[in-house]
Amino acid sequence: MAPLEARDLTCAYAQAPVLRQLELALQPGEVLALIGPNGAGKTTLLRALARLLRPQSGAVLLAGRDVWRLSPRTVARQLALAPQSEAAFWPLTVEQAVALGRAPHRGWLLPYTARDRQALESVLQRTGLQALRTRLLTQLSGGELRRVVLARALVQEPQILLLDEPTAHLDLKYQGEVLALVRHLAHRDRLAVVLALHDLNQAALCADRLALLAQGTLLASGPPAAVLTPERLAQAYGVRVAVTRHPLYGTPLVVPLLASLEEGAPFPVAEPQGPGLAW
Amino acid sequence: MSAGRGGTLFLLLLGGLAAAMLASLALGAVSLPLWEVLAALVGGRQAEPMAVAIVRDLRGGRVLLAGGIGAGLAAAGAALQGLFRNPLADPFVVGASSGAALGATLALSAGLQWHAAGFSPVPLAAFAGALLAVALVYAIAEIGGVAPVTTLLLAGAALSTFLGAVVSLLVLLNERNLHAVFTWLLGSLAGRGWPQLRASLPYLLAGIGLLWLLARPLDALVFGEETAQSLGLSLRWVRGAVVGAASLATAAAVAAGGTIGFVGLIAPHVARLLVGAGHARLIPASALLGALLLVLADDVARTVLAPLELPVGLITAMLGGPFFLYLLKTRRQALGVR
Repeated sequence: MAPLEARDLTCAYAQAPVLRQLELALQPGEVLALIGPNGAGKTTLLRALARLLRPQSGAVLLAGRDVWRLSPRTVARQLALAPQSEAAFWPLTVEQAVALGRAPHRGWLLPYTARDRQALESVLQRTGLQALRTRLLTQLSGGELRRVVLARALVQEPQILLLDEPTAHLDLKYQGEVLALVRHLAHRDRLAVVLALHDLNQAALCADRLALLAQGTLLASGPPAAVLTPERLAQAYGVRVAVTRHPLYGTPLVVPLLASLEEGAPFPVAEPQGPGLAW
Repeated sequence: MSAGRGGTLFLLLLGGLAAAMLASLALGAVSLPLWEVLAALVGGRQAEPMAVAIVRDLRGGRVLLAGGIGAGLAAAGAALQGLFRNPLADPFVVGASSGAALGATLALSAGLQWHAAGFSPVPLAAFAGALLAVALVYAIAEIGGVAPVTTLLLAGAALSTFLGAVVSLLVLLNERNLHAVFTWLLGSLAGRGWPQLRASLPYLLAGIGLLWLLARPLDALVFGEETAQSLGLSLRWVRGAVVGAASLATAAAVAAGGTIGFVGLIAPHVARLLVGAGHARLIPASALLGALLLVLADDVARTVLAPLELPVGLITAMLGGPFFLYLLKTRRQALGVR
């Protein structure tokens, strides 16, 4: 049984459908990257998977059980979400903020135990936050705050990890570290990881499987080399790209072509669908 | 963690509160030397009967009541600021205070006499008014089981204004009890003491204790409601618990001392500067600071124009307003205002 599954999932904000009859099943030990243009429904899908958005029809199944029949706390013990944009209103310390990830296990009233502190230490070390532990959230850079959010999700010790744009606002070094950490978590610790990514090359490097979303439907799903083809990307994003190979890993490498240089030389693909953003 | 620094701060706060309370026992229309206050507290043969009467019967209950009311208002303010992620939230904003004011005014103008649960009608009516007002604000703001913060604050502000007008109308229509209602609305501890303390203390302590227990859910809300939910928190549950416990503490405070403003707004901000934003320390630190502030404010109210007494609500507003503006100017970021 898949640890997490979307079955015939349709979601809408105020009657405007955002996801249409989506089918998706996740395997343990797998990194699945959601890609697709702005507004394709990536974040909506993550929110629905995390039991934050109630689907209009269809269901999200966590180990075979509808998440809306489980308590939020039961879900939070198995599934963690690191949202894309998150701001701290009050200046908690980094340590206090990360420790909140233990709440699904410890509850909201009991004090943290040695087991919680051990989980906290190990995650602070893994995410390179040890030196920042007493810093206030309001004093952190955007990238540091992203790492705090990721650390809080990891401290939940979930079997399923959902990450919305985990590399946004991170510098080159931490981008690489986060992607390596994600692969490690999936392949070594057997977590199932879903990440929404804008950077197609990061997705190709990091993920075992890509799911290409466009206008709320699943356009393609499969290994990076099968999904990242010029035709598919033209269909989804409405732009021309060239796809070559990564010099070291042999994974697909997507190279955008400047739209303005192509004017007057029509490219034989379908017209852009919807408000796709040109490079 | 800076547990040592936090511990020292709490000891300092406790010491400061104890010293302020002792000083308050000595101050007043009749000033007593400190050793006489101590002798009166300890009892024994050296204690003068007059001093014993003043310290124990007259001032003791009132000083403790001031501390309890300040603690309750401040803890409620800290928790409501955390719940709504709004630095301007305090017991007044969600309608608790104006609801309590209307309840008390109704009871005062009707001249009700019966008693229940150790309370006279005025506190009971204040309590009912507070809970009803908060429930009403909540019902108006709620959409699909969730009350968005902005809607909640707007509904609270609108209802408070409306209830305030009703209170003024009642006061104008009912000249017989005008003075009692007026001092009550300004917030006054004149003539209050042990009876009010006995009646309100259980509810104050229960409210503060409950809010302290809710420290971790309040911390989780620092990142917003969706994140708190994704950590397994039920928003419906935490909103109900925080608003309920804060209303309990507020209603008990308002019932005992009238509508005393600014303590619930300022004490949490000062506490946050001292012990940080984590609610496990913020709630008790706010309670201690609120107690300290109101004890000191009541000293000023009793002594500045002695033998005339000013309503303590006047003092908290006159000292608290400028102090808050000073904080706003100099410590904007620490207040969570950008």
